[in-house]
Amino acid sequence: MRDLRQQIHDYKHSGTPIVRNGFVVMQYKQLVDWARGNSVWPLSFGLACCGVELMHFIASRYDFDRFGFALRASPRQADVMIVAGTLCNKMAPALRAVYDMMAEPKYVVSMGSCANGGGYYHYSYSVVRGCDRIVPVDLYIPGCPPNAEALMYGMIQLQNKIQGVKSFYMPDYTRELEQNDA
Amino acid sequence: MMIDLVSRSNALGELKNFTFNFGPQHPAAHGVLRLVVEVEGETVVQIDPHIGLLHRATEKLMESKPFNHSIGYMDRLDYVSILPNEHVYVMAIEQLLGLKVPKRAQYIRVMFDEISRILNHLLVLGSTALDMGALTPWFYTFREREILMDCYEAVSGARMHANYYCPGGVLRDLPNRMAQFEESPWRFSSEIKDLNAPRSGSLLDYIQYFTDIFPARCDEYEALLTDNRIWKQRTVGISPIDADRALALGFTGPMLRSTGYMRDLRVDQPYAVYDALDFNIALGKTGDCYDRYLVRVAEMRESNRIIQQCVDWLRRHKGPVVSDHPKVVPPTRERSKMYMEEMIHQFKHFSEGYSVPEGETYAAVEHPKGEMGVYMVSDGANKPYRVKIRAAGFPHLQALNELCRGHMLSDVVVILASMDIVFGEIDR
Amino acid sequence: MMHKRQQALSVRLKSLCPDNRVDYLTNMPILYGEIDSLESIMQHLQTHDDLQMNMLLDLCVVDRLHYGVDEWVGVQGTSQGYDRARTPLDQQSLIQEKGRFEVVYHLLSTTHNHRARVKVSLNHASTLVPSMTGIWPNANWYEREAFDLFGIRFINHPDLRRILTDYGFVGYPMRKDFPLQGRVELRYDASLARCLYEPVTLENRVSTPKVIRRDDDRLSITE
Repeated sequence: MRDLRQQIHDYKHSGTPIVRNGFVVMQYKQLVDWARGNSVWPLSFGLACCGVELMHFIASRYDFDRFGFALRASPRQADVMIVAGTLCNKMAPALRAVYDMMAEPKYVVSMGSCANGGGYYHYSYSVVRGCDRIVPVDLYIPGCPPNAEALMYGMIQLQNKIQGVKSFYMPDYTRELEQNDA
Repeated sequence: MMIDLVSRSNALGELKNFTFNFGPQHPAAHGVLRLVVEVEGETVVQIDPHIGLLHRATEKLMESKPFNHSIGYMDRLDYVSILPNEHVYVMAIEQLLGLKVPKRAQYIRVMFDEISRILNHLLVLGSTALDMGALTPWFYTFREREILMDCYEAVSGARMHANYYCPGGVLRDLPNRMAQFEESPWRFSSEIKDLNAPRSGSLLDYIQYFTDIFPARCDEYEALLTDNRIWKQRTVGISPIDADRALALGFTGPMLRSTGYMRDLRVDQPYAVYDALDFNIALGKTGDCYDRYLVRVAEMRESNRIIQQCVDWLRRHKGPVVSDHPKVVPPTRERSKMYMEEMIHQFKHFSEGYSVPEGETYAAVEHPKGEMGVYMVSDGANKPYRVKIRAAGFPHLQALNELCRGHMLSDVVVILASMDIVFGEIDR
Repeated sequence: MMHKRQQALSVRLKSLCPDNRVDYLTNMPILYGEIDSLESIMQHLQTHDDLQMNMLLDLCVVDRLHYGVDEWVGVQGTSQGYDRARTPLDQQSLIQEKGRFEVVYHLLSTTHNHRARVKVSLNHASTLVPSMTGIWPNANWYEREAFDLFGIRFINHPDLRRILTDYGFVGYPMRKDFPLQGRVELRYDASLARCLYEPVTLENRVSTPKVIRRDDDRLSITE
């Protein structure tokens, strides 16, 4: 196990271009995905028990700000909705309305077994059997409730997904120009 | 000119109150609550709370499952203070069965009830401050919540939904060692050493460590809030209520005690081993939001004393933690492998469950939010015939309209937070 | 101590309410009320100096439709060699006799520190009960809940609306003949851009049937 100081030292002298030359060359798409993945702003929206674990993920020990997350109270400013808890029939239209209010690109994380598929309340008359019946889900986190570490892992996976997915469409201008010339 | 004036007076004559929606997605709604608020300017005229947005039909599901399978539903009712919910449910089953609980199990139960009370009050304290825009107390209280959740995890394996109590006692004895932080590239080894220092002993040592540091931590919260001018301006004199009205509205717990009325089931109707413990009950005077806050802080300090006494007792007394009745409590793993009878008991317990004699009972505990009760009807089957959960927050939320009327719109959030609302138990 | 206090209340109730039957079960006196005289007896319980039931703790309804009925019909079982869990049909007559619904009030006196249970059995087809909102104001939501989940209607209730179930819900879900998984389920339809209800496609899976064992000595636990 190497010491952290040693690691920081190694990193500083590793010849990473941004450190050595003061600039970096990368694709625009990569840059956008990198930025987007590192500033994921979830909506503060706790439905039930999982909301408590979500709060613990935000609070002192797990401190989710260090991953670039920041909680937003308004859906119009949020990128990701964490469906934290049991989604009931009465709540579902409101949840969908909140989802529709969010700006593109938007992501949904289904947290806990109730949101994944009804879970312990699967056979109840008033529970939606999985929040994917209402909103499209990008990531499922199992557990009842998933502990804050599981949620942390899930959110890091979401970041990876955002950074890896070809989400940014660039029109091919060269072909258009050629057509115009012809 | 004349015509203009007339039309203006008409416009004034047609002034209407403004009605709007608060929630269901609102960061200060403490879950899923929809309020239809009618305001005159900034003053609240009427509030109509729409609940049921988390109605999960717990009671109906309980009727469809054997008794022991429903303990988990009790966890998920009031998901902020988890083990007192289980306590009231297993107490109801024990009353119907006439089952005796070993002394050590009762002390463990009381200890975890009080740990849950601190967990609950810490969350209320933190989130009330958060709703008013003070972020710091929230981080402080969640730091202590993490310690207590580690205690939950040590006994049951789960940070929140412990499922630890069972009819006849508790599931297993307190562990002798705590989970340790492991070395990782992200932490210095000296840091790991400091983190593991209180975890080197048993769970009781860890809880002892918590009770030692907690009074000082309470002082920290109080230093931030109790004499804080903004805090007092937002809470003092907000929604005062007198004891008679509170009783008529069905208030219990800190909501009732903040009015100065002494009512606490731990004293008035002692269950488990509360009559053997020494503690005080905090009372308020005016019943406003500030008194509710003070009562909760004082209760946390008293809970801390109760936990200390339980730790002392549990260190000195060993013994069984669960009743040895073969039909209700499953046999130990070794015994079920060695004896035919025990193996049959094991099989029947986990496939069919146990039958509870015909009858009905009402069990109640002093839950952190007030009196939580379970009315259970059994028709002699292995499933409850009817379970009705008396949620403490239900009458509190019902009184929201009365408490908020005449106050400013921004006070609604404070009143709501001070009532300690959790929708899991209100909507069930 | 608690036990003695409750027993004393039971004796007191018997003398103060001579028209009603009073039982005593697991530390709780039970007073059986009649629909017609319910309001006056509740008023009596609240105001009498020796009773002073100043708090309504809880109001709930019990649907006695399946009381004492096993889920496991024994006929097929016995033909294949099983001899257990027969349906005791004689219990069915009980429902006919006493009526289906029972409204249960839990009362508390904080001055005397005692509690009592009041039970009202409704006649077979009736779902009408006088409202207690005039006596205890917090009966309001409890009665709304009972109306929502069981369809019990409370006379003179100021605002009898559904409270817990969805807006526009059909049926009374906590009744025993209402299926656990409900009759409809919710789905978001992208083409209509709204959530809509469809008939439920799920069947309830009973992993453990309800079994009543009257021949079993496990019922007589007296330690």
